[in-house]
Amino acid sequence: MSEAGKSSADENGALVEARDLRTWFPIRRGLFTGASGHVKAVDGVSFSVRPGRTLGLVGESGCGKTTVGRTILRLIPATGGSVLYRGRDLFAMPPAELRRMRRHMQIVFQDPMSSLNPRMSVGGIIGEPMQVHGIASGAERADRIAALLHRVGLDPAYARRYPHEFSGGQRQRIGIARALALDPEFIVCDEPVSALDVSIQSQILNLLRDIQEERKMAYLFIAHNLAVVEHFADEVAVMYLGRIVEMAAASELYANPRHPYTLSLLSAIPEPNPRPTRTRTVLSGEVPSPANPPGGCAFHPRCPLTRHAAGEANATETVEIESGGERIRILKRCRCEVPPLETRGGAGPHAAACWVNG
Amino acid sequence: MQKPLLEIRNLTVAFETDAGRIVPVRDLSLTIFPAQTVALVGESGCGKSVTALSIMRLIPQPPARILSGQVLFDGRDLPALSEKQMQGIRGREIAMIFQEPTTSLNPVYAIGEQIAEAIRLHQGVGRRAALAIAERSLADVGIADPHGRLREYPHQLSGGMRQRVMIATALSCRPRLLIADEPTTALDVTIQAQILELLRKLRRDRGMAILLITHDLGVVAENADVVGVMYASRMVEFAAVEDLFDRPLHPYTQGLFRSVPKLGRKMQRLETIAGTVPCPSCFPSGCKFHPRCGRTRELCSETEPDLREASPNHWAACHFVENYSGAAAVAPMLAHRREIVAGDREETAA
Repeated sequence: MSEAGKSSADENGALVEARDLRTWFPIRRGLFTGASGHVKAVDGVSFSVRPGRTLGLVGESGCGKTTVGRTILRLIPATGGSVLYRGRDLFAMPPAELRRMRRHMQIVFQDPMSSLNPRMSVGGIIGEPMQVHGIASGAERADRIAALLHRVGLDPAYARRYPHEFSGGQRQRIGIARALALDPEFIVCDEPVSALDVSIQSQILNLLRDIQEERKMAYLFIAHNLAVVEHFADEVAVMYLGRIVEMAAASELYANPRHPYTLSLLSAIPEPNPRPTRTRTVLSGEVPSPANPPGGCAFHPRCPLTRHAAGEANATETVEIESGGERIRILKRCRCEVPPLETRGGAGPHAAACWVNG
Repeated sequence: MQKPLLEIRNLTVAFETDAGRIVPVRDLSLTIFPAQTVALVGESGCGKSVTALSIMRLIPQPPARILSGQVLFDGRDLPALSEKQMQGIRGREIAMIFQEPTTSLNPVYAIGEQIAEAIRLHQGVGRRAALAIAERSLADVGIADPHGRLREYPHQLSGGMRQRVMIATALSCRPRLLIADEPTTALDVTIQAQILELLRKLRRDRGMAILLITHDLGVVAENADVVGVMYASRMVEFAAVEDLFDRPLHPYTQGLFRSVPKLGRKMQRLETIAGTVPCPSCFPSGCKFHPRCGRTRELCSETEPDLREASPNHWAACHFVENYSGAAAVAPMLAHRREIVAGDREETAA
């Protein structure tokens, strides 16, 4: 790609594009034996993030959402697939070029205590990326650090203090200032508010939003709280056991959820209203282990839709399985074939991976 | 009038530390009636867990000290009991479940042994009989194949299963009061829904009272009859759940409600409460919320407001709540219970 091409997004309008991303972790049972299997933490995930926009990635623990965020930044090696940044493949990039690219891509972690070095001053933490990338030194760096601290709502005099002197919310502000130090175009926010108190969460969410508007940054916003994601994201992808099961614009996905997993996730959120308006589908069973996921559609042992559909289907199209200690009848197709993530029109593209309600 | 099961009157708990005395719970009053769920809501450091541990007498003394107040359980003042008498109540009449089921279970014992231990201790039955009761308890909390599970170890279970085991242990002696300290915070939402449904069922079937400690307003709205809001060691508001959500009186409660993103209502910006949650060693003077409050006047930094009945059956501790003139509450009492009809809104997918 030409130099001119660097300043714009690729032909699809995407800043970051993941194609068929796979991250598998080997399971080793002994010291000298090879891998006996794999935990397929991420197994064929594709999405794109447009400049200045936010893609929300939601799912329950173990669904692979954090691994996606880390894999696209090459903090964890990928097993397969590719990540294009402005059309350039990050996985095929020589190390020197990758290092130059890294200044455009940053991450804010969930736990602001364990992601800040306790032995470095706040100024040192925020200034280190500038040092590594050779941007600004001496008084100019100090000025930039002061400006960043001011931007995230902290007193610039705090640059001389240490992380333990701050509250959780203040530490998260420091983490955000560090991520902004190189003026990136893309930030992975990995559960940035879930470790914080309720009254502090809204402060941090507003800060992230204001910064995005000022600097036109793109976010990959990873969270398990669907209400927070609805508030924050332009588009939303729902993950279950290493795959995206539904993806659409946030307003569309919340108004017309199609995948039964999305439906049950939404209905499981307790409503802050003592006179409830929604009816609830309580899912039976647990999230299966990603080391040994169910075949076909990974959601089939817990899926209420396929059970319902099996009741109306021809007996030859159904199969009996055991789930949570009971025998249930489901569609054979859900048990045997992986449903593709298929886009269907509507109010904007809306993709769902489901045989019954795809 | 019905008698409360638990009545906390003006409880003040202090910790003596090297850096001086800190007071995580001050002048706290609370009542729980049989078959009632009372939620205690607040952010980190507000004193809600210390309150729970003080009821159970599970805080080490020293460094902790109950400076004043009573904790009356069925008429008996728990802090005044001997440790031996307390052992007859703890686990038997009042049971507790914790946030993190992994650290609350012993990793080197099979779960059957752990549940049976409590049963043998409190019910004086033999090992075999205790294991049979343990098996029934596991079945009661919805664990499939309870007989096989008795021999499994905590690491073989998922987080949701472990929390079910904790609940089975807590319920094996049929306590009259269950203290649940953030019982679902460590769990995923679909598992949280299962556990909360289980707690509602147990309350319905056994008439058990629950003190539910949480920071999640959604969990409160769906499960509590009565809610106490705590901020920086004090109870700042106490009301029936409907009244509290319809018309929160205290500025902290109002700010908390406004700052939480709600499903189905997309907003450009969230409202916030300025400042940070104070830690117990640096509580401000006067009303402890005044540095973060939009309504602060001079009085607020000087005098701490008492919890008063500002409208019928609705208590608040703020100088500027309308009708803030009633008598200071000795212990706010509300026997209110919501109707819970079996299966009225749960549509279990099975």
